[in-house]
Order: sequence, then C-alpha cells, then structure tokens
Amino acid sequence: MNKTFDRIATLTFLAIGVLFMIESLRISKSAYGSVVGPNVFPFLLGLILVLLSVKLLFETMRYPSTHGEKQRMQYKKFWTIFITAIFYAILLEPIGYVITTFLFLIIGFQTMEKGSIWKSIIIAACFSLGVYGLYVKMLQGTLPSWPIWLR
Amino acid sequence: MTFLLDGFQTALQLHNLFFAFLGVLIGTAVGVLPGIGPMSGVALLIPVTASMTSGFEPAQAATSSIILLAGVYYGAMYGGSTTSILLNTPGESSSVVTALDGYQMAKQGRAGSALAIAAIGSFAAGIVSLIALVLLAEPLSNVALKFGPAEYFSLMILGLAAVSGLAGNSMTKAWMMTVFGLLLSTIGLDSVSGVARFTYNISFLYGGLEFLTVAVGLFALGEVFKAILYNEQNNDGIAKIGRIIPSREELKESAGPIARGSLLGFLVGILPGAGATLASFFSYMLEKKISKHPEKFGKGTIAGVAAPESANNAASGGAMIPLLTLGIPGSGTTAILMGALMMYNVQPGPLLFDEHPDVAWGLIASMFIGNIMLLILNMPLVKIFAKIIETPPKYLLPLIIAISIFGVYAVQVTTFDIFLLLGFGVLGYLLAAHDFPLAPLVLGLVLGPMIENNMRRALTASNGDFLVFIEKPISFVLLIAAILWIAIPFLMKLKGKSVIVNEDM
Repeated sequence: MNKTFDRIATLTFLAIGVLFMIESLRISKSAYGSVVGPNVFPFLLGLILVLLSVKLLFETMRYPSTHGEKQRMQYKKFWTIFITAIFYAILLEPIGYVITTFLFLIIGFQTMEKGSIWKSIIIAACFSLGVYGLYVKMLQGTLPSWPIWLR
Repeated sequence: MTFLLDGFQTALQLHNLFFAFLGVLIGTAVGVLPGIGPMSGVALLIPVTASMTSGFEPAQAATSSIILLAGVYYGAMYGGSTTSILLNTPGESSSVVTALDGYQMAKQGRAGSALAIAAIGSFAAGIVSLIALVLLAEPLSNVALKFGPAEYFSLMILGLAAVSGLAGNSMTKAWMMTVFGLLLSTIGLDSVSGVARFTYNISFLYGGLEFLTVAVGLFALGEVFKAILYNEQNNDGIAKIGRIIPSREELKESAGPIARGSLLGFLVGILPGAGATLASFFSYMLEKKISKHPEKFGKGTIAGVAAPESANNAASGGAMIPLLTLGIPGSGTTAILMGALMMYNVQPGPLLFDEHPDVAWGLIASMFIGNIMLLILNMPLVKIFAKIIETPPKYLLPLIIAISIFGVYAVQVTTFDIFLLLGFGVLGYLLAAHDFPLAPLVLGLVLGPMIENNMRRALTASNGDFLVFIEKPISFVLLIAAILWIAIPFLMKLKGKSVIVNEDM
C-alpha cells in the first residue's frame, strides 16, 4: 500500500463528498409526488463519503508505510499513447475515423515496440478500414467519414 | 417447462446461435489472454454488440446481445484454465488455483488431460448450475414480486454490503468506492422530479454519466494502461499439450471433485459478493481436506484441476440467479451485464420473467447451447487457442484502446464521452493499483437510481418516516443481514483472523 497515494486519494474523496453536500443544498427541495426531495439522497451519500474518508485518513496514520520493490514503470510509453489518444479524440470528428484510427494505431504500435513498420501499417490499415467498412457500409452506423477535402 | 422450450426456440434461431457462438469464442479468447478479464471483456463488447444488433427490433436486440455477452462471461471461465495449465500464468483470477496442480501436470507431460478435465468439469458444472437456475427462477421471482419499495431498498443495501464486504483488502476503501459510484449515479436529471442535479449546464451531463463509458473506461482501459506501464511479458515456454483424451482412470478420479465443485461453486455463486474466485478457492481447499492423499495436491493431481474449474463455472451460473430473479447483481461482471440489459430498457428482476420471457428464457436456453459449444471448442481446438497466448501485446494493447474508443463513439456519438472514457481509464488504473476495488463502484453506479427511487417511494408512502425500513419485517431482516455481513468479517479481523477476500470479480 502506498501511503502518499492513499492520503491524496482520501483528501480528494473528502473534497468530493463535501462538494456534493454543498451542491445538493442548492437543488430545489420540494418535489411534486415525493415527500423526499431530489436533494436528500446525494446529501446523505456525500455525508457518508466524508465520514468514510475521515476513517480512511485515520487508517493511513496507523499502518506502517511499506516500500515494495519498485518496478520500472514505462511512463514515457504511457504518456505518448495517452496523449496520442487525446489527439485522436479531438481530431476524430474534423478529419474522420479512418485516418485518425490509422494514425493512432501506427503511433501506438511503434511506441510499444519499434520496428516492423510494414506489419504495423498493414494491421492498422486493416483495422481502421475494416471497422469503417463493416460498421458504416454494412450496418449503416454513423462514424465521421473522410474529411471534406478528400471526398 | 413450456417457457424453457420457448426459450430454446428463441435460442435456436440462426442469428442467436451465431451470437452465442461468437460470445463463447470471444469469451474463450478473453479467458486465454492474460490481462483481459471477464469484466473488461464484457464491458468492451457491450458497444460492439449494440452496434451489431442496431438493425433488430428492441426486444430481439436485447436477447441477442445478452446471449453474446453472457457467452463471453462463462466462456472466459473455460478459457482461463488454459493459460493456468500451460503457462502457470492464470488468464484471470478465478483460475489462480488451477495453476497449482495444472502446471505441475503440464510439466509431467499431462497437459492434455488437465485441459480436457478442466473442460469436462466446466461443462458438467455449467449444466448443473443451469438446471438449478431453471428450477429456482420461478419460485424466487414470485417471492420477489411481493416486495414493496422498502423491501427492495433493503435488499439492494444487502447486495451492496455483501459486495463491499468481500472486495479488496480494505473494507473502508470498498465502501468509499460504493458510495462514490452511488454519488456518480445521481448526476443528471432526477427521474422522480425532473430536476437537474450536478449538471452545471453541461448538456452532455443531463442524461447522466453513461454507464457504458464508465465501465469500459474503468475496466478495459484501466487494464490496458496498467499493462503499458508495467510492460508485462512472460518468457516462459508453453508446455506441450500432448494427448487430449483423458484416461478412464483420470475420469474416474475426477468425477467426485467435479460433482462437489459444481454444487459448492453454485452455492457460492448465488451469494452476492462471493464470486468465481472464492468458489474455486473453497472447492480446492475442500478437496484437499477430504482427499485420501492430501500430500498429492500441488504436485499435479487431477482433482486439483477438476474441482476449482468446475466450481468457477458453476459460480458464474449461480451468479445469474440473483441478477435475473431479483435484479441484484452479485459481482462486477454481473453488474456490467445488468447495465447492458438496462441499456435495452430491459429491467432485470422479478418482472423480467413476465415482461420479457423471451429474453430471460432465451438466455437460459442459450447457455445450455453455449456450454455444449464450449466443450467442443475447448477439447479438440484447445491447441489453436493456446496459440492466442502468443499474440504480442505490442499490437493487442493499442487495438483494445481503438476498440474502446470506437465502441463508445458508436453508441454515444459525442467526443465528450471519449474524453470521459480516457479519464475513467486513468482513474481505473490509479484506483485499482492502490487497492481501491472497482467492482463496488460499478455496482453503485448501476444500483444507484434504483436504490434512490425505492427509498423515496418508501418514504413517500410513510410520509418521510425513516422507521418504515425497520417496521416492515422482511425489510428489517434484510437490513440485519446486511449489518451482519459487514460486522462479522470486521469482528474476525479484530480477533486477528485473516479473512479471505475476493481480489477480483
């Protein structure tokens, strides 16, 4: 168990609980057809979350901080793929499904492990075109199609 | 009985057979691949099935989708044994115990028999639990029909207590996750009064957080992110499979363990909170206790494979009972199945058998057929499935991200949900890596609106008097059971005894 993370998480959940409590006070209290207004349930839950967070905070004081074997984490790989995924989401609608998916997969494959670029291109092309063809052409679903300047 | 026959008629329709086959096929693959458990597998496939069935009528679409998704669920239980035996790396947590004896058998060159017995045991257990499901479904849902809002509220509290009490190492953390899930479920328009809550005029939030986005993010993406960060690789060679047909002696030796494992697994499966993992654990310990040669366990005895594999399959069948008859999912995976059903406007629970008999009985009948398919898939074709293990993560992980994004976008058609998906992916990784269990969160998210509605209906009937939950006898008993469920492990911990917990459901 990681003490620092537990503390940060606890404080975050404490804040979330308080936030829900305060915000639920702003919801209108009366509701037609129900004695108990829409504010009661979230308020109670917020309160319980606050109490539980305090309990966990005390628990984190008690247990000894353990330092397990630190594994080497691949932060660089993770961030590259994660940020690529965010760009994927942003660009999905402007430039279409096939191009963004193809690019995301190429970058993803190459970040995981460099090399065999042709195999990456073939798999990425098969997936992006295959999904688009199956879903849009056969099942008549909607996906952002090609960008205007390509049509 | 006529209902079951009708169910077979539904399940034997060509497209449903295809869906069942696809489900068990993907399920086996999910079970074989380390890193993707049944939970992330089912979550990942909800949007895919939703888009596949988009041309169907609503009720038909629900039946076909749930047939496929349930197929993934029990198919994964079969597939999980394959990697345990061949690689000593369990494909999912319910097969951890199988590795103890299974890998030893593989080392002795008996991998084929171990795999075969695992498949036969899983099949027998699947059938046993299904027969029990058929027998218990009607009476149980009749009891549940008599429940009022107060009883329902207490029943759902019991469900939450059971899952939170058994999930993860820290009960406080499990409860925090449950409450957090319940809180997330209050975002959006209040279904009783129509008041917007916690939406801050963001139009995407009026419908509430989409269950699908949260589930795929937490489980599928969370797992992928973890795999990328730790770059797990197994370099152990795969054991040779050898002869597949088990000898008559081995069959005789494993008949008892299979029967006991099936029954025990089924009973454990019905209990909310205790899932397939605990079932396989218990049955292994039971076999070791009653065996004439307990020293053989851990050194490659066939009973050590047969019992846990039967138990985890029977448990996955047993877990369907509270889901279908009471509408209370007992584990993370069944919570996801329930969320999938609710996406199609099919509400699991006592009314399911009256309102949607084709969905309920079609699903049950398809599980019979699916189990037969799995037996065929897992006996002669096990060598092909063993090849899946060699899929390089280099290609697998980015593809899973791409499938998640496609699935969420196909159903929601907004980029907002993709960002939400990525956010929950990071959250899922962070929480799971620090012992915050995810199953209670999903359970809270699914049950939240129902708990709130029943609570408010009960309170409206009693004019806001909270004592109504104690005054009704059934509700009182259920609440006491919920309290005991939390209190007993707590007291045992105080006495210094270790409590077995479910690491992953």
